[in-house]
Amino acid sequence: MKLEGKATMLRIHFGEDDKWQGKPLYRAIVEKCRELDIAGATVFRGIEGYGASTLIRKPHHLLSFSHDAPVMVSVIDSDDKIRKLIPQLDAMVADGLIAISEVEVVRYVHQDGLRS
Amino acid sequence: MLNAGPAKKVCIYVGEDHKYHGQSLYAAILDFLFYRGISGASVVRGIAGFGADHHMHTIRIERLTENLPIKIEFVESAEKVEELLPKLHEMAGTGLIDVQDTFVVKPPSEGSHDAAPKGAAVALKREGKAKLMRVFIGENDKWHGKPLYKALVEAMRANDIAGATVYQGILGYGANRRIHKDTALHLSHDRPIMISVVDDEAKLRSFAKILEEMVQQGLVVMSDVDVIKYTHEIPPPEKKEARK
Repeated sequence: MKLEGKATMLRIHFGEDDKWQGKPLYRAIVEKCRELDIAGATVFRGIEGYGASTLIRKPHHLLSFSHDAPVMVSVIDSDDKIRKLIPQLDAMVADGLIAISEVEVVRYVHQDGLRS
Repeated sequence: MLNAGPAKKVCIYVGEDHKYHGQSLYAAILDFLFYRGISGASVVRGIAGFGADHHMHTIRIERLTENLPIKIEFVESAEKVEELLPKLHEMAGTGLIDVQDTFVVKPPSEGSHDAAPKGAAVALKREGKAKLMRVFIGENDKWHGKPLYKALVEAMRANDIAGATVYQGILGYGANRRIHKDTALHLSHDRPIMISVVDDEAKLRSFAKILEEMVQQGLVVMSDVDVIKYTHEIPPPEKKEARK
């Protein structure tokens, strides 16, 4: 897979508790990205926030057993692949935000590109 | 790269307990020299000494073993020394720095990497257009035996990048297609990591050369940002003197 020059970054913000067909939405999104052969996706958990539902999302306990922390999935690939992903995500994300921005790929290396 | 011929020898004298941004000062100086491409540096710990504060530090009496003298020594070309001195001056705080003329008879044969950018002045950035760089790697990735994300932050600091933040993801996949994930018991140590850095384009571009050497697997992207506010506290001089 090649990724260079201009690319597009998608960020999807929602809650950790959000579900899609019974499984955590963030997991479903990562699986969808893999299915569509997107270059990569990363899920980050925030420690506090609020969003579309205007609720303050915040982990309630110190022991990290808590839920409903804000979650952000960041996806980067070529513009056309990201554009193909958007309608699919649209159906999955009921309550959240999807933002798009332009990025420039500085370096993209994977296993077979490894120098010895 | 150090060649045979005239060069400069720099000695920096600090206390073992001196701190620089929360980290041990001599380690911070050593990191700085390392990531700026100095061909070699040594740290020696004295067994007794006194400095500007005129306190005797010695290992002979248990009570006084704290803050033993540390000497950091390296030999480099005059230009390189010139380039590094302002930052060293700032870092050394109350310590002493001396530079002597020396002559390199036999240059070191291996192990110099020429990745450091030239003349990265300690320019603090102002509000306005800047670049945001994001580096996506795995938590398990290593560089010279230490976690890559840690090494990258150290390298960024040594190259005067305005700031860096490491984020740990809970799930993801990337260039190598392996799924990084956080297991229920937090025992997994291969979570996705993202480092985000903001600085001017020129600085980030020159740092990209170092990244090329360090990041063997991952993704680095850059995007435009507007800096709305960038402030930092300059420690008042009296506080600096109180540092022991």
